[in-house]
Amino acid sequence: MHSTRSRLAAAAMLAFLAWGSAGCGGQQGIAGSTWNDPHPLPTDTMTVPTPEIGRHGGRFVISQTSGPRTFNHIMANETSSADVVDRMYVGFTELDYATDRIYPLLAKSWETSPDGTTWTWHLRRGACFSDGHPITSEDVLFNFELAYDEKLHPSIQDLLKVDGKEFEVSAPDSYTVVMKIPRPYALMVPAVGALKIMPKHRLEAAYRSGDFASAFNVATAPESIVVSGPFVLKEYVAGEKTVLTRNPYWFGVDAKGQRMPYLDEVIYLIVPDQEAASLKFQTGEVDAIDNVKPSDYSTYIDGQKKGNYTLYDLGPGMSTNFFWVNLNTVKEPKPGKKVGAPYTDPVRYSWFTRREFRQALSKAIDREAMIRSVFFGDAVKNWSTATPGNKTWYTPEAAGLDYDPEGAKALIAGMGWRDRDGDGIVEDELGRTVSFTMKTNGDNVARVALANFVRDDLSKIGIRCTPVPLDFNTLITNLRQDFQYESILLGLSSAVPPDPMMGQNVWKSSGLTHYWNVGQKKPGTEAEARIDALVADNVATLDLEARRRGWREIQEIVNREGYFIWLPTIVVKLPVRNKFGNLQPSVLPHRLLWNIDRVFVKEGGTPA
Amino acid sequence: MRTFILRRVLQAIPLLVGISALTFLLLQLAPGDFLNTMAENPGISVESIEAMRTRFGLDRPWYVQYGLYLKNLVFHLDFGQSFSRHQPVFAVLREGLLNTLLLAVSAAVVTWGLAVPLGVWAAVRQYSWVDKGLSLLAFLWLSIPEVLSGLLLLFFAAKTGLFPVGGMRSLGWDSLDPLGKALDLLHHLALPALVVGMIPLAGRMRQMRANLLDVLRLDYVTTARAKGLDERTVVFKHAVRNAINPLITLFGFTLGALVSGSFVAEIIFSWPGLGRITLDALLTQDQYLVMGSVLMASVVLVAGNLVADILLAVADPRIAYD
Repeated sequence: MHSTRSRLAAAAMLAFLAWGSAGCGGQQGIAGSTWNDPHPLPTDTMTVPTPEIGRHGGRFVISQTSGPRTFNHIMANETSSADVVDRMYVGFTELDYATDRIYPLLAKSWETSPDGTTWTWHLRRGACFSDGHPITSEDVLFNFELAYDEKLHPSIQDLLKVDGKEFEVSAPDSYTVVMKIPRPYALMVPAVGALKIMPKHRLEAAYRSGDFASAFNVATAPESIVVSGPFVLKEYVAGEKTVLTRNPYWFGVDAKGQRMPYLDEVIYLIVPDQEAASLKFQTGEVDAIDNVKPSDYSTYIDGQKKGNYTLYDLGPGMSTNFFWVNLNTVKEPKPGKKVGAPYTDPVRYSWFTRREFRQALSKAIDREAMIRSVFFGDAVKNWSTATPGNKTWYTPEAAGLDYDPEGAKALIAGMGWRDRDGDGIVEDELGRTVSFTMKTNGDNVARVALANFVRDDLSKIGIRCTPVPLDFNTLITNLRQDFQYESILLGLSSAVPPDPMMGQNVWKSSGLTHYWNVGQKKPGTEAEARIDALVADNVATLDLEARRRGWREIQEIVNREGYFIWLPTIVVKLPVRNKFGNLQPSVLPHRLLWNIDRVFVKEGGTPA
Repeated sequence: MRTFILRRVLQAIPLLVGISALTFLLLQLAPGDFLNTMAENPGISVESIEAMRTRFGLDRPWYVQYGLYLKNLVFHLDFGQSFSRHQPVFAVLREGLLNTLLLAVSAAVVTWGLAVPLGVWAAVRQYSWVDKGLSLLAFLWLSIPEVLSGLLLLFFAAKTGLFPVGGMRSLGWDSLDPLGKALDLLHHLALPALVVGMIPLAGRMRQMRANLLDVLRLDYVTTARAKGLDERTVVFKHAVRNAINPLITLFGFTLGALVSGSFVAEIIFSWPGLGRITLDALLTQDQYLVMGSVLMASVVLVAGNLVADILLAVADPRIAYD
């Protein structure tokens, strides 16, 4: 068995050698490099945009709060796995975080038919997996089969469907893939790019025998995990570390034709405790930290010179904070519940459904004070899931209702609500005290602080709001299954690319994350019907300007209606050691490692 | 003796079944399930979540799930699959368990290595400044939470550079010779073992002191002294051997306490043990992984008690199990 495999590999390598000679030829390592490229470069190399030409060698050590759970890209669902596997596999296209443009990766180029329903993709010739086996359209078809598998039902499946229908994928030859879709699809390029290519020749047997989900798991021997990306697994020690090293067959090169990546190793040290991670950074064991609290920013700034690092200011982040009131109604007949009845207390529901009430809530929040006290000044106002950090989709014109306590009081008074008994809390027109609870997850200190801040601000306009910090799972159950809450304070973070339609389930009235009224059979209000229509239009339009106009209207409706009451968004700052070149930290995940294939250790920096 | 051990092992079976049933029930009572966190992602549809629920068997009633779990456990020694890691639970836990045991046993060495001699010292110098000083220290340490002492020691390590800042091995571990590997491991083990071992230290030390004081008042000790034996022989040869019995009984319990006590230290010191896997599993409601780790911790506790009983028989010839 083993000898057959190695013979096959040898044969593949010979074929590959013959082939590669037609290309640019092998590259000798440059001066100062510790690595000599053992393989010839493929025919269609991919020139990776690099601000600086680097040199080979060195390593980058980063800490992770918990380790990867699988090395199988399709089965990886949580960030701790994604942070690692995203470096190990590539798809047709990728987003350049520095320019917010999508660039071709495994696909060299592509064309679209005039009606936008037929997409023809050309693969890079000579691109190989980490075992030297060529990456062809066969592999692409196999990965589509995996993505559409009903039993596995990987999370990427939803993105790869248009109106619930699968793409028709075919491969006229080894380096061409044709996809047919029923109508133009705005997310086509990012969606196809999100499907990272895994090797058919190593995984098909496992898939046919029904063991795909457990293939390439953390117990798999590193040498048998074959990847398409710049980095390959070198070592995984449970609970301690994950070590990646360069894929010797990677098709990325720099402008001088040197094979990427530059680094010998990327090491993820597992450090569950944040304080411990910070100490490890200070002692120099870790080169960067990808999560720092605003309260610690000043400490990091003070230590920059001594610790030989820089605290990069990445500007407003992509994650949001907001709260909403519960407008959910019963959708399916249930014992004791009538269809259409509110899940929350009917009296409160009658307040929540009033737009003036929701607008008053938004006007009551002093966001500037919140930025100063909760975020130590390191936050900005935000009115959308596309935060000011979102280069393409941020829409400053679609701002919501900002702090205006007098305006808020006027709205309250306009509904006939006033403080009848002199306790400082208003009563509604029927004399019922206006109060509600606000749930949030208690393990998130910042959210609890925000909820307390909201309580204080609302009390100033005569509304009693009581924060209720909860266990995360309980909160999600309330949010999604039993709808037992009055209001919830939560956040959403952005997908990659940060196209708002990647999160269309938030806006569509039928969506599962349309928090304020989840999973409606048909839109319950005119405003929501309009949003639904705008979303449907948006995903079917390829013209960016038209899409931006539609997106602006969606945000304007949400903010006018007060479906979400937006709170400030944090300004992200991260410390990284100074010895690295080409580092371009970004607010999108993974903030530091997204371009790690081109990061290098500068002259004078210790290479190991 | 052999029948005693066999009986104890058999008795452990209903106990473990009870523990597993209780754990399972509590997990079911907790709101939500493993798919909750995934449902948080706006990119994942209802259908995807439901398909996964079916794949993991989470759509079946809890007694069916538990019945299947028990059946696989008893007949195939199969602890089930971890949802998040797509791996058998036993494979996930095995290494963590070994690391936790290493930490717990080292901590036990710290506890006993300090508690017994210090307890003896305090007893023979009753009411002296040594005795009072040791009591004060012991209670001071007892009142510092493990989290704080752990972080303080970690801070100490970072500032002085005398010890590594958490972790179990250096990054260059693989290139070390066997002696270097062992030393590196010990170097990393020192602080967490100290933190965990110090938790029961105060109690054990006081116990040793009290036991020895009791024994020192007994007639046979007076007799030994009257015979003209020197104090050293009286204390170490005659008194301590008798005074140590209750501590051996406690050893079993303490081992259990050390395993659970190490959970907190594991997180602070990035020690790759069972504690972190369990915490992760609990937070994500990876139910069979939680079950597996609770069962393994219970087995350690039961085994610790058994070992204590056996040790007792070895130490005290008057005790015999039929």
